[in-house]
Amino acid sequence: MALAATLVIAVGATTMRYTTVVKEMSVLFHGQVMVTSKDAIVVQAIPIFGGMLPQNFTIKELEGIAGIEKVTPVLFVTNTTFSGLASMPVNFSMGIPVEDWPAVLGPTPLKGSSGHFPTNESNNEVVVGASMADQYNWMVGSRIVLNERELTIVGVLDTKMALLNRCIIMPLKLAQAVHNNVGNVNIVAVKPVQGYSQGNLTFAIKGKINYVKALTEEERNDVVQPIIAQIESWNVGMQTIILCMSLILVMMVTVMSVSERRRDFATLDAIGAPLHYVFSVVILETSLIGVFGALIGIGFGSLVALLIASIYTNIPLALFFPSVFEIVPPLYMVQMFVAIVFVCCIGGIVPALNATRMHVAEVLRAEY
Amino acid sequence: MMIKTLDLTKTYQVGSSEVTALDKVSFEVREESFTAIVGPSGAGKSTLLNLVGLNDHPTSGKILIDNADASQFSAGERRKIRLSRMGFVFQTFNLIPTLSAVENVELPMALAKKSRKEQREAAARLLETVGLSHRLKHRPKELSIGEMQRVSIARALANDPEIVIADEPTGELDAKTAKEIITLLFEVNRKEKKTIVVATHDEKVVEVADTVYAIQDGKLRLEGQR
Repeated sequence: MALAATLVIAVGATTMRYTTVVKEMSVLFHGQVMVTSKDAIVVQAIPIFGGMLPQNFTIKELEGIAGIEKVTPVLFVTNTTFSGLASMPVNFSMGIPVEDWPAVLGPTPLKGSSGHFPTNESNNEVVVGASMADQYNWMVGSRIVLNERELTIVGVLDTKMALLNRCIIMPLKLAQAVHNNVGNVNIVAVKPVQGYSQGNLTFAIKGKINYVKALTEEERNDVVQPIIAQIESWNVGMQTIILCMSLILVMMVTVMSVSERRRDFATLDAIGAPLHYVFSVVILETSLIGVFGALIGIGFGSLVALLIASIYTNIPLALFFPSVFEIVPPLYMVQMFVAIVFVCCIGGIVPALNATRMHVAEVLRAEY
Repeated sequence: MMIKTLDLTKTYQVGSSEVTALDKVSFEVREESFTAIVGPSGAGKSTLLNLVGLNDHPTSGKILIDNADASQFSAGERRKIRLSRMGFVFQTFNLIPTLSAVENVELPMALAKKSRKEQREAAARLLETVGLSHRLKHRPKELSIGEMQRVSIARALANDPEIVIADEPTGELDAKTAKEIITLLFEVNRKEKKTIVVATHDEKVVEVADTVYAIQDGKLRLEGQR
């Protein structure tokens, strides 16, 4: 039971973590149309693969389209390193014109009082996500080297969002210089004027600029939602299969256990124990198997989920411990605990009924 | 409690043939008496005790408990009688192995919903009566077979029953321990005024019994009465 619970928690929590990360991305560019290169592959609001757009030329083209209130060029770079088993992006860089940060990132304060956001003129100031700062022991004033360029950390983001926690955010011009993409961006966020529909705007953009793809917020979600829904269904299906197998296993083990103790149950019957007492003894036993199995499984499963996250992100395991409840949410733990104990109770019904049918006359006659 | 049987018959189906374990047995157990039923293995002793102990149903005939027909009792009523008015001692003791001696004795009282304090006190007193006050916390596997049977007798007396039904209580014991157990049952009969019904092939039991029945091939006959 503990092994089953470990599997359910580990797989469930890991799947949930990555679907949550993807869902979180929808927070970025909220209420805006996202314009990327036509060949870009986009997950929610993040282009994970694809070409660049010439910044000034694209903005000029967009400015000629009706219904646009504001245009924000963004450079988003995924810094993927392949070392050992780590195949997930280790960190991201995001270059945004400083005045547009709140519009793109939402309200994201800095940790502590000593930090500040860089200015557009700064040529080496960045803010970093808290997870990276914890991992590398960075603080305000620390110097880091990115693509052979020395940068100074002037703030640590105070956010729960997994993506921003692994982000190095800097003014757009600095990001373009650091990543050798001067004059280029890979996202242009377009805010429609109030009352103007995102759908009409994307239609107009695609009609005028033939080298871009424009996606409304809904379209961005539509691309990802079916995949997330499938992953979540797969997760629920797998949990159901594991719990069903556990149910059968608990039932078989308890049937054997009751059969081995048939004399005890027959004795209870002989001395006048009520049927509900005999029944509840067996159900209590299987429930206890469930309680202890679930507790051990939740402990080990959480550890395995942290280990998987650590391996895939190349972040030391110890750094995940303080955020264990973010990776394995307490509500999920409670749900799984209840589900496992419930499954064990159900698994105890057949053996409990067997126990109530054991009578001393038959059992002793069978033994002699 | 007075128990009477009228033409009690019990048959079992063994494969395609029918085996008659009890054949029209009529007998009476008087209140506060010590009744022994003697006979060889397979004669029908245990079958008879299971029937009078309401642990089994006869194929035909009647069992009267205080002149009431037991076949009219519901399963719940039969359980209630077994729990509060009868005590059982088995040849193989049938103690619950995971419970200590005192917990085994407390079990019938817990089932009868007696208070925790009452259970503890009565169990300790009963184990003292059977000479096991120093073995309260021991589990069955830590006791000798004689001690296990004493615990079994204490458990049978837990709910202060009117009758104790013992099926081969000395069957697993050596001669010395068997004698101690017979003496104990005799004292329970005489001092506690409990009716005792013992199925046995132990001659020592016959010596102390008020009434002796012999059973052979399912037929019962009165052997002697004091």
